[in-house]
Amino acid sequence: MRLKKMNNALQMLCGKYPAKAEGVLVKNTAGAMGAPAALAMADGKTVKLLPWRRERRFVELKNLVDNRTLDGVSTLRFASMASGRTLSALLYRELDLCEFLGESGIMSGFAVCNGKTANVIVKLHDGKSCSVECSGALPAGTEPIDRHEIIARRGVACDRAVDTQVPQASIYVFAQDGESRFTDGDSELFGFDHDEALLIRAAFAVLAEPPLAELWNVLDARLVKRTAEILATDKSGKPVLYKEGE
Amino acid sequence: MMKPVKIAMMALTHGHTRKYYQTLRENAKLDWVASCAADAEAKAVYALYETKVPCYLSAEEMFKQHPDIQAVVIASANDQHLRDMTLCAERGVHILSMKIPTFVPEEYDDMIKVVDKAGIVCQIELEMHYNPVVMRLRKLMADGVIGKVLSLQATNITLSPAWAFPWQGVPEASYGRRVPLRRGDHRFRGGALCDHPHVFDLIRWLTGADFAYVYSEVAPNLRPDLEVEDMILVNGKMTDGTAFLFDPSWSRMEERLKVPGPGWEVFPKRMEVNLSIIGEKGTIMCDCFGPNIYHNGAPNDRYTVQYTYFDEWIGLIDEFVACIREHKTPKINLQWHRQTIDCMNACYRSIDASAPVKVC
Repeated sequence: MRLKKMNNALQMLCGKYPAKAEGVLVKNTAGAMGAPAALAMADGKTVKLLPWRRERRFVELKNLVDNRTLDGVSTLRFASMASGRTLSALLYRELDLCEFLGESGIMSGFAVCNGKTANVIVKLHDGKSCSVECSGALPAGTEPIDRHEIIARRGVACDRAVDTQVPQASIYVFAQDGESRFTDGDSELFGFDHDEALLIRAAFAVLAEPPLAELWNVLDARLVKRTAEILATDKSGKPVLYKEGE
Repeated sequence: MMKPVKIAMMALTHGHTRKYYQTLRENAKLDWVASCAADAEAKAVYALYETKVPCYLSAEEMFKQHPDIQAVVIASANDQHLRDMTLCAERGVHILSMKIPTFVPEEYDDMIKVVDKAGIVCQIELEMHYNPVVMRLRKLMADGVIGKVLSLQATNITLSPAWAFPWQGVPEASYGRRVPLRRGDHRFRGGALCDHPHVFDLIRWLTGADFAYVYSEVAPNLRPDLEVEDMILVNGKMTDGTAFLFDPSWSRMEERLKVPGPGWEVFPKRMEVNLSIIGEKGTIMCDCFGPNIYHNGAPNDRYTVQYTYFDEWIGLIDEFVACIREHKTPKINLQWHRQTIDCMNACYRSIDASAPVKVC
């Protein structure tokens, strides 16, 4: 994570588009579950970022639910595999996506863990079920693999192509020094990797829309608590239950 | 060359019925001599396939006309299996049973008794054991490519067969009894879970362990007019510590055809069995029925996954014939399969209790 360059890009966006606040990206607290960077606001507040909420694929998936392209959502099927990430970090994002895409709060969660893996079933207050497969056991150097599928009475949406198992890329290069692939999705932030670009966009979203700061901090605090509680069900052997609005 | 085994099919109302026609005709070790249909409707559908094998409306009549039948594929609704097995066992006829013998424990005990008493072969149809992708997967695991297995996730997702095979939407016929899913839920046991034992069986075969406990949840039905569950998730742990997560749902929508055929699927891929196996040294992702070919032609001009192979039935039948000829016990016999059925019943108990339940 190249914070100096990322902050230059953030200032570029603030100069180009209207921003209502000032701030800089800083490294998140050591051991924090959420995104690797937070936003330090000029007023002294620190904002926890939920960058996936600004990621185009999740925005478009949510649009499909909101505009009723999908109707009668029943089940969400998520998977997230990575190397060098903790189960907490992986589950934190997926639990947030359960509520973001499921558009209902978490009612219960039950995790079954083994080593760097967790298989979680989450129930939302409106009855939807969610399965979350997390693994931090991919070998070092392996690109993360994830999948987000929404299954409804009318329609199924997914960020992966039908009849494929792994993410596809925009460009595949087969050269003498081996195979490489590229997926660039942000022309204004060309040159940043996917996660860096998402953090810059999320930080700019807060500076352009400051009420997001409080909302995301509230969500972060709840996610941190719930991630730990749901992972603890592996030991307790009992699903954890939440009241609506809790 | 040994004489072919004279074989028949019974009932013809199971969703897998048509998958046997080609194998029964082409396998030189078999002589398909007769069929009997559960009713006139099943007989009429059977006629569409033009097998040229005579079809009766009663099993007794079929056995009377063909006393030389040595083996039968019982392709009936789950609640008919004990009766059909007993009919075969009384005649010393070997049995290839559909994937769910019964969910009723007492009936399961009776099945074991009648089969053991008759000394016949009774093989359970779990065709994934003969799938070439699964064979490769098993070899990779045995070779230690990913080290000790930590976790296994699997889908066994399909469209719902309940419109073509209505008994699969009837709790008594599918589950054997009418049991509510849980208090306050208007649905009953007997839906998607009952159609998808494969992943429950595969994890036992791949790990060599049995089930310790399961937790299961149902979601709102995609098909509100079904009185059985169609969306279900299961997680749990094996006795060797392997964590698992299964999706055995009917999550792919279908046209409500009376006879399965092209255009049955609404979602492009009508069936999927995918596994992710995470080990201490690596991860394997596996699509048991892919890759395939794709089209958007007739009948509905929809993007469609056209499967490219289904040869599981060949190995399955080969094993069945070998067991008959060599008086061997099939790999997938009633005793082996019992734990799988017990686990599926435990899933229903978990839904009712909203809590994990022990299987062993």
